[in-house]
Amino acid sequence: MQESTYNELADLALRTTGQHIPASKSYLIDARLSNISRRESFATLDDLVHCLKARPNQRFEQEIAAALTNKRTHFFRERELLAQIVGYALPHRLKQSKNGRLRVWCAGVSTGQDVWSLAMRLREEVGSPLASADIDIIGTDVSTLCIETANQGTYGHFEVQKGLSIHRLMTNFTRENSGDWTINKELRDGISFRRHNLLHPAQDLGSFDLIICTHVISDLAKPAQHEVLTHLSRQLLPGGFLFAAPSEEIEGINPIIKPSRDMRGAFERDTSASKTVAA
Amino acid sequence: MKHCLIVDDSRVVRTVAGRIVKDLSFTVSEAAHGAEALEICRKDMPDAILLDWNMPVMNGLDFLRALRREDRGKEPVVVFCTNENDSEHISEAIRAGANEYIMKPFDAEIVESKFAEVGLV
Repeated sequence: MQESTYNELADLALRTTGQHIPASKSYLIDARLSNISRRESFATLDDLVHCLKARPNQRFEQEIAAALTNKRTHFFRERELLAQIVGYALPHRLKQSKNGRLRVWCAGVSTGQDVWSLAMRLREEVGSPLASADIDIIGTDVSTLCIETANQGTYGHFEVQKGLSIHRLMTNFTRENSGDWTINKELRDGISFRRHNLLHPAQDLGSFDLIICTHVISDLAKPAQHEVLTHLSRQLLPGGFLFAAPSEEIEGINPIIKPSRDMRGAFERDTSASKTVAA
Repeated sequence: MKHCLIVDDSRVVRTVAGRIVKDLSFTVSEAAHGAEALEICRKDMPDAILLDWNMPVMNGLDFLRALRREDRGKEPVVVFCTNENDSEHISEAIRAGANEYIMKPFDAEIVESKFAEVGLV
């Protein structure tokens, strides 16, 4: 890949999704665009960029930008976080809920494994107050293809063997004749997926008790991190929690969020900071 | 170090799986069928067994049933590793006492993930 091609594609990723892909990781661009490049019969990414510049096509640009995001995920990727959410954060919010209804937003879910993992864990909460709660979970991603996969809930042989115990696979999936495995209907209640770019305001998604955004913010350029946290925090209900992956350092990126005093590892909206910003 | 017995009639699979399991800090022994594996278990009960289904002499399911009847035979964590990838076979393996199930083909990540599920790593 020529340096000018890297620059064009890295700039496209930055402009469209806020992704920061340093030159030292230009191999990620090769890997993430290989399918599109092959499908469109480009011999090289240099040819792809040349075509984009010669015949601008916003839809194709968006598809490329979405393909450049990190899609690597697997079931039960953040087990401790999941345990904390199911064991503490959701019960805490349920106690504060007047109608027994909770809303959770999983932001940047790639092909949806985080959402289905949470749904599986919740289904295992037999006898707990969460079992009778009305919990809506919405998963979003900037990639239309990823959202289609997540919504379909059909995963391949390798995907269902990473992070999933055989017990959970047999309980929650049905094997297709193709050898793929599809999420069972019983797990789909209250689950939905939508395409959404985290750089954009999210009022149309509504407000949430919990926002879970793991392995997304750390891949973004600094200004994009700030912007995304602003948009996420605005969708938190009063007293709601924002969770990133424990390995991600998001404290201090944006004063609109601060570490929660009620929930270890969680963040909450700092209303005093937002007033200051508004002023 | 924990000891893993790899039971498969394919030498290639034993070699590949052996490398993966060694990388997970196990010592490895091998058997080409269930009867050979049972002899090894009687002498030195392993901590884990990676077990193929279809093998000559004694298949994986018969081995597992025999193993679980042995003294200390309930101790090893048994992970099936087989081409029999349909729900019926998986259910049958679990009923016979398998702790986990790997569907072939597999890679190192899958073995590590499945071993993690049953507390081996």
